[in-house]
Amino acid sequence: MADALLVTVVDDDESVRESLPDLLGQYGFATQAFASAEAFLASDCIDRTRCLILDIAMPRMTGPDLQRELTRRRHHIPIVFITAHADEIDRPKLLDSGAVDCLLKPFSEAALLDAVHAALGAR
Amino acid sequence: MQSELAGIVDAIPAMVWTVQADGRADYLNQQWLDYTGLSLEEAYGDGWQSAICLTDLPAVLDYFRALQPTGKAGSIEARMRRFDGTHRWFLMQCSPLGDDSGAIAGWCWYISHSELDERRRTEALLAGERRVLEMVARGRPLAVILDALCVVVEAAAPGCHCSVLLIDPRRSAFHAGAAPTLPSGYTTAIDGAPVTRTVGPCGMAASLNTQVIVSDIASDTRWDRDAWPALALAHDLRSVWSTPILSLAGNVLGTFALYQQEPGRPTVLHQALIEQFTHVASIAIERAQTEAALRRSQAFLAEAQRLSSTGSFAWRADSDEVTWSEELYRIHEFDPSTPMTLQLSATRVHPDDIPLFTASVENARRGGGDFEVEPRLLMPDGSIKYVHVVAHATRDDTGELEYIGALQDVTERRQSQDALDKARSELAHVARVTSLGVLTASIAHEVNQPLSGILTNASTGVKMLADDPPNVEGARETARRTMRDARRAADVIARLRALFSKNGGVIESVDVNEATREVIALSSGEWRRAGVIVRTELADELPVVSGDRVQLQQVVLNLMLNASEAMSGIEGRARHLTIRTEVDDDRRVRVSVHDVGIGIDPHNLDRLFEAFYSTKSGGMGIGLSVSRSIIARHNGHLWAAPNDGPGATFAFSLPVGRS
Repeated sequence: MADALLVTVVDDDESVRESLPDLLGQYGFATQAFASAEAFLASDCIDRTRCLILDIAMPRMTGPDLQRELTRRRHHIPIVFITAHADEIDRPKLLDSGAVDCLLKPFSEAALLDAVHAALGAR
Repeated sequence: MQSELAGIVDAIPAMVWTVQADGRADYLNQQWLDYTGLSLEEAYGDGWQSAICLTDLPAVLDYFRALQPTGKAGSIEARMRRFDGTHRWFLMQCSPLGDDSGAIAGWCWYISHSELDERRRTEALLAGERRVLEMVARGRPLAVILDALCVVVEAAAPGCHCSVLLIDPRRSAFHAGAAPTLPSGYTTAIDGAPVTRTVGPCGMAASLNTQVIVSDIASDTRWDRDAWPALALAHDLRSVWSTPILSLAGNVLGTFALYQQEPGRPTVLHQALIEQFTHVASIAIERAQTEAALRRSQAFLAEAQRLSSTGSFAWRADSDEVTWSEELYRIHEFDPSTPMTLQLSATRVHPDDIPLFTASVENARRGGGDFEVEPRLLMPDGSIKYVHVVAHATRDDTGELEYIGALQDVTERRQSQDALDKARSELAHVARVTSLGVLTASIAHEVNQPLSGILTNASTGVKMLADDPPNVEGARETARRTMRDARRAADVIARLRALFSKNGGVIESVDVNEATREVIALSSGEWRRAGVIVRTELADELPVVSGDRVQLQQVVLNLMLNASEAMSGIEGRARHLTIRTEVDDDRRVRVSVHDVGIGIDPHNLDRLFEAFYSTKSGGMGIGLSVSRSIIARHNGHLWAAPNDGPGATFAFSLPVGRS
């Protein structure tokens, strides 16, 4: 699937790293999963990533931290934030900062696909 | 002098001698010579003066010189030295002797009181003094003692009115002591007057601390501007001699005054009387003050014993002599007039505690030293009292063993302890529920994570089965993950229920590492949300402790939440929270929570653990207080200490339990 669009998942929760790539794979996306923002930055996937599904709350570097770092490095990757914390999201602020969407765990398959398609269309 | 007359003069029980105008003696009768032991040759001329007490002689000669120009008879009191060297007081009378022409040819001195009279008078004075001192010793009221003192003095000094004024040191004012023969109009006018020199000679004597002699009130100018002279004269008083009464320490307690209705100065006899009786008055007043102070302190003690429900006792181990304070009778519900014995006190001890009581007594009797017991008492009405007894062993001068002790009724404290335990357990529940509020977001996270996995895996599985051909193997894998995540969610709920249920008190062997890991797992979302990086340093092979697992987890959670809170405002350095378990030097299991937050003020270290003390704007301040009481109930210790670097460490240690 060399031509498949790469969707990268960054989340410290193993359950998410297992399940989300499998589901996206069912819809024909190529996927990569990383347990931390640092691991993603150290990988060679940055340039190939067409859509980044990014957990907000992670130890050390958080999702928004990674977003700022990518902006600083001039990588304009569309980002879909995901989080299990309903009360800590300043959704308008995240969208203003360039995020495509922000999904609350647990989210539906349809909501995920809408967000990923929106991200790919945003390019 | 004719020899016949001389024989008569020699026979009368009186000392007679004549002197010329220059004071030289030219005749002394046999009585005089017998009494003084001097020979005629020695006594002639100025020689007779050597029989007058050296102290009194100048006054006698002064008096004689002053008397001569008046040509009248007079008398003065002075001491004569007897042949054996002892001195006795006598009234020495002096009359002019006329010659044939009626001019004064010389002076005849005579002492008409026999020595017997003088001795009687001395004895009467001594008896009077002894009577007064006896009254002092018997603790008679001060007013009665001072009245008797005045009566004795007045009997010894005819014509004098004796007065004792006391000083109230708090108000610096006089109040009446005794003045049985002074006019009441005079004494009531002085009563309550301030102690100042303007209030007559007594005020002056007291404020200047010196004797004040007013020989003629009418002509004395020292109180010209004051009301006192008119007051005194209106009551027919013409002279007064006032002397301060001093305490042993030299403080002025009052004044001792002799009033006369004639002008006059004190004689040597008067001065001796004054000296003797101001001293007696001082003893009486000081004793009365000491007794009043003692009564006051006894009253204080009794009141303090009543307020604190504490009685005191003394017990002589050899003779079994027992002394009880009034409060001890009250606690035991015995009549205070009952003579107390060890056997009688034992009748109040609860039958179940008699062996304890007997063992303590026997051990103490054998010289066991200080002891402390907490027996129960069974009252006649069937009620039970809890008492706490502490006794200290001493030995008196004869070496006899005596125990001095205190007994406190701690029944109310025991009852309130039960109530307190109940309140504390409710408070602990409140604290848990409060933590639940804090953890709501974390709990949602912990539940939402597996739910997210469940939903995603289920979606994937459905999609795989819908493929043609269906990807059964992939669907099986997603179903397996779904089950795993569902179990994970169920675990979270189970842990929550345990942590926040009101049930508790199950004592079991607790693996502190495991319990700590569970707390961290449950609350990990909270640390992530707060940007806190939790590090664990859990000792291998940590012994188990015995306790209430849920309560101990509550404490760990509390300390972690506090640490996180302390770091909430920290920017520019990582918010590290380190939780460590170890076995400390005392072989106890120690759990410490180390943060790099704002730290704690060493001055507030103790207050930190008070209920409702909070440095957090949103905190109820019950977390640490409840935590400390939980640890205390596990026979452990919870403390806080500032770090060398930033932040603080909260730690607790627990005894190792039986595995």
